[in-house]
Amino acid sequence: MQKLVVVALNSLLAAGLYATMSYGLAVIYGVMRIINLAHAGLMMLAAYTTFALNDRFGLDPFLSIVIVAPLFFLIGMGLYGTLVRRLPRSAAGPSIQSLLLLFGVWLVLQNLAYAIWGGDTQSILTPYTMQSVRAFGEGFGVPQILVFGVSILSLVALNLVLRKTYLGKAIRAVTENRDAAMLSGVNAGRIAAVAFGLGTAFAAIAGSMLSTLYAFTPDFGRSFLLKAFCIIVLGGMESFTGVAVGALVLALIENFASAYTSIPVSFQDAISFTLLVVVLVAAPRGLPGLWRALDRRLVAR
Amino acid sequence: MSFLRRHPALPAGLLFAIGLLGAPLVAERGTLNDLWNVAFAVVLASAWNLLGGFAGQVSLGYSAFVGIGAYTTVLLSLAGWNPTLTLPIGALLAVAFSVAVGLPTFRLRGPYFTIATIGVGEAVRVIASGVDFTGGASGLRMPPGTFDFTSNYYSIVILALFTVALCAWLSQHAFGLALEAIRQDIDAAEALGVSSTRMKLEAHAISAALVALAGGLFAINFQYISPSNVFDFRLSLSIVLMPIVGGMGTVVGPVLGAILFSYLQIKLLASPALRDSYLFIYGGLLIAVMLFEPRGMVGLWERLVRKLPRWRAPRTAEPHRA
Repeated sequence: MQKLVVVALNSLLAAGLYATMSYGLAVIYGVMRIINLAHAGLMMLAAYTTFALNDRFGLDPFLSIVIVAPLFFLIGMGLYGTLVRRLPRSAAGPSIQSLLLLFGVWLVLQNLAYAIWGGDTQSILTPYTMQSVRAFGEGFGVPQILVFGVSILSLVALNLVLRKTYLGKAIRAVTENRDAAMLSGVNAGRIAAVAFGLGTAFAAIAGSMLSTLYAFTPDFGRSFLLKAFCIIVLGGMESFTGVAVGALVLALIENFASAYTSIPVSFQDAISFTLLVVVLVAAPRGLPGLWRALDRRLVAR
Repeated sequence: MSFLRRHPALPAGLLFAIGLLGAPLVAERGTLNDLWNVAFAVVLASAWNLLGGFAGQVSLGYSAFVGIGAYTTVLLSLAGWNPTLTLPIGALLAVAFSVAVGLPTFRLRGPYFTIATIGVGEAVRVIASGVDFTGGASGLRMPPGTFDFTSNYYSIVILALFTVALCAWLSQHAFGLALEAIRQDIDAAEALGVSSTRMKLEAHAISAALVALAGGLFAINFQYISPSNVFDFRLSLSIVLMPIVGGMGTVVGPVLGAILFSYLQIKLLASPALRDSYLFIYGGLLIAVMLFEPRGMVGLWERLVRKLPRWRAPRTAEPHRA
């Protein structure tokens, strides 16, 4: 029983981070119907920026988010203005062209990190890196708890922006129906730029937090990109609650699989990659789609 | 001459083929090694192009097939087989794997398929690095006495020429046209009676077999493989970049892309300054192609030809494919 609680708590802690890194992807997908493959590169670059701030000025990685997030918001707007804006718009869904373009951006970002920081594995050590809090007879790492706290804060902030401000309402309107939003006077181009900046900023928040938990190289982030994609598919691609539920489901599956099955730790990433394929194929509309299908079947009976 | 006008790349292709086949008579070993790499790249790029270019199903998981071919050859050779006999086994295993992966993932469209193939490729890599029989991180070595450069050189060159010829032939026949229809509009193709899943599975299987054969020859040529060199994401990446930069969905494009990339790679390996910036070059090329000319070098060439004054014979109304 105790083990169950501990595993569940660990899943919850992981889910906060997973949700943060997935929202960036979901916002951009919602507004532009683009899958941002550069997301992984942006997380990696934010981890390195956090590392540099910590290394040079001794800035705490969690405090550095205050600098890193706005900086990456601007970087995201810049990427949109110089590259993404020029892509032909496809109404049907994301185009291979946009995917490959952002893939190119990812490669360039990787090389940028190699050029500046070299290929060695880096990590950030803080006074609390090794500390833990004991509960239910098990230690929970302080960084993990802080990451969870910051994730919740940033998600609450995002939710407030999306619900209460004109900008947020415009973003949601474009996500739901681009043409109708434009007819009501929303400048969809500008909203897309802001959404790309917002998505990039969330990639950066996730990257800063990842840097406190994992060691990283310029190749860092690919497995997290795949996890984030798995989560937004689980969540039904564009719903706010869906992403949170998807993050929790993935975290639960990963943690329970490693705690209760004999799958070796080195195969853990393979679980989420396989899950990604299974979810894409079996439930392309995610959990909301599954729920609706189940609902319909129950009603029919 | 009308035949030549319909196939403008044919003379160049024949010259290229004769050059590759005749090279061992005149060239030195170093040059031949470079040409080996060119031929290897041509097989990978052209085979990928069958599914990715013709049918428009961009897969980022092709290193799995290189790995299956290479590991089959090494493992069976270590068990005492003649390395040549292991090649078809590797191809068969790759076909089986391509069907196993294709059956579920071909239900996905466009970018969703692409993302799923990254997932499959990564899962294969993670598992291959974790199990014992692949030699783990330290890799495996071929048994001694299994290497003869000349026969290996001719094998890869003939495989490359066969692959390109097969692509050229398929592109002119019902199968290639069906793939083209799938790329342009999968629903319309289905409505016209093209069984899209079956066609995609067949294209996937053919290209998987060709890539696995090249993987087996890779293992024989380099005598050493490890999960990090044959299941690498970077390998999947260059397999995709070559046809895209050359011109997706054309016969000539992947060959041009393969030549360009092998040349770049040889240059990059030779200069330490450039070796650290190959991702800049790959990424930059990808961005430039997607923004300015999605049909790559072939598209650029066609644009150039159109700009030229009309010194050539008047062209027929139908734009022919290179």
